[in-house]
Amino acid sequence: MTSRHPIELFMPPNMLKAKLGGGSGGSDIAALQRAQEALESLSTEFAGWLADDVKALVDAGARYGADPGDINRAALLRAAHDIKGQAATFDFPLMARVAGSLSRLLDEIPPGREIPAGLVEAHVRAVQVIHRETIKNAGDLMAQTLCTELEANVTRTLSGV
Amino acid sequence: MSGYRFERLKILVVDDNVHMRKLVVTILQAFGVKQVFEADSAERAWTTLREINPDIIVLDWVMEGKSGLELARMIRTMPEAPNAFVPLIMLTGYTSANHVRQARDAGVNEFIAKPVAAKTMMARLVSVIEYPRPFVRTDVYFGPCRRRRANEEYRGPERRINTHQAAE
Repeated sequence: MTSRHPIELFMPPNMLKAKLGGGSGGSDIAALQRAQEALESLSTEFAGWLADDVKALVDAGARYGADPGDINRAALLRAAHDIKGQAATFDFPLMARVAGSLSRLLDEIPPGREIPAGLVEAHVRAVQVIHRETIKNAGDLMAQTLCTELEANVTRTLSGV
Repeated sequence: MSGYRFERLKILVVDDNVHMRKLVVTILQAFGVKQVFEADSAERAWTTLREINPDIIVLDWVMEGKSGLELARMIRTMPEAPNAFVPLIMLTGYTSANHVRQARDAGVNEFIAKPVAAKTMMARLVSVIEYPRPFVRTDVYFGPCRRRRANEEYRGPERRINTHQAAE
């Protein structure tokens, strides 16, 4: 394709730097320390937040099981994606891994193509088990095996798409 | 110590998950940012950003309704956007190279993979303050230059002119 207009390359004035004053370009160690402390004081709420996220996933999974349409699929992906992004912060790294595997499955199968219901359900159940048994240890053998199995199943499913 | 007056910053945080917003807001406030605004959807963010004209926008990708990617494109290209140059920091669970490429092609400046860490957030803030990239306007793209480094030795054709890979 030939460009109809000339390419413009320009440097806008750095208003942000002007507004914030001349920094050193490095990290503010004191600010990082304050952030760490603030997150630690917030951590008492993490168990409740995670319970909310797991419930949202289970509910979205049930709705998708009853009607695997695009809207329910998108809602389930959002719920899985939330857990993938947050569970490690809440100290549940293997839950994040399972949710990541479910996100991949939902995200990579083209819209309109069937997603194996049993595999979706297995992921949701695995998240529930990890939550119920409070499996926080990334080295937990049972949960690790479960993760590996689910990921392998997703890879197999996607290779056939 | 960075020496930046973070208390002068105005940041809009866009995420449909209330807990993630709380985490990000907590980090930013601990950095000293006084004006942190929140939006739980791209649609609400679009309204809010036109009211407050933030200095930086931290946005999620996967949201109900319009995605963060669509919001980024609107900010870069729609005349109603108050500041088409505003730095966009995409905070997302997506981590593949393909997703990073998509975010970059939508005009996102910086990318943070969830889970969010204070250290990474600080690094991205410093990056948009200290190392802003030039902007590029082509027939198919408007946003920060997607070439991270200039290659002084490059002697090939100017790819921006002829291909959809403009401004890579």
